[in-house]
Amino acid sequence: MIQPQSHLNVADNSGARELMCIRIIGASNRRYAHIGDIIVAVIKEALPNTPLERSEVIRAVIVRTCKELKRDNGMIIRYDDNAAVVIDQEGNPKGTRVFGAIARELRQLNFTKIVSLAPEVL
Amino acid sequence: MRLEKCWFCSSTVYPGHGIQFVRNDAKIFRFCRSKCHKNFKMKRNPRKVKWTKAYRRLHGKDMTQDSTFEFERKRNRPERYDRNLAENTLKAIKKIDKVRVDREARHHTLRMKGKRAKEQREAAKELEQGIPLVKAPSVLQEEPSLTLPKIKVKVSHQESQENRLMEE
Repeated sequence: MIQPQSHLNVADNSGARELMCIRIIGASNRRYAHIGDIIVAVIKEALPNTPLERSEVIRAVIVRTCKELKRDNGMIIRYDDNAAVVIDQEGNPKGTRVFGAIARELRQLNFTKIVSLAPEVL
Repeated sequence: MRLEKCWFCSSTVYPGHGIQFVRNDAKIFRFCRSKCHKNFKMKRNPRKVKWTKAYRRLHGKDMTQDSTFEFERKRNRPERYDRNLAENTLKAIKKIDKVRVDREARHHTLRMKGKRAKEQREAAKELEQGIPLVKAPSVLQEEPSLTLPKIKVKVSHQESQENRLMEE
């Protein structure tokens, strides 16, 4: 359950370290974003000497949430943290690596690049 | 479809039950119910919680080494379907289960062997030590030789008659 003002970790090597959600892409009055949703976010913390800077507005896709994810087969999955991967307008990741486990739902949403980079897909 | 084991209590997790927690290093913790999930969140060690299988195994409450446990194992290679094999497996499950239950019962009886004698001994000791609870200690101290013997006094009828006269 990511809403505006939520802080997220970054699960890639794009250079950003922490994001803050400012908008959820989808509907006009959408309240919460879940795994696989695209958000507009501000970079709150970035590594030095990287293309991304602090207070830059970017798009990101959510890959892990502390809020449980329910699957159709009755499985309920919960992750350790809220994390997102920085993407461009076409949905390609800006970084070249992805860290940590990633939900399988991203494959259906055409984030195949992120899924292939991930070390573990659950 | 696979029946997994709960990380906390080692019971079977059936499909649609419980919750999975994925740590950031991609280790999966499966829980059979919210009780186990909550205990995990409280950072309890299943070896120290008395109702878990881990505790019971560690403290010799349950049978640990037995050949019947070898059958229930996680196999990563899917078996090719064979009608005869499936039939024989279903038959074997019942037989193996019966053997396991019998052996567990035997283990329990062996474990409980000296229990009754121990209870009797403890009860006898408690009775010996706890006698003041039944009879007050002051009564025991009061010996008949130290107290005055009780004497019955006869009250004559004459006195009562005199009293009656005086009242009149």
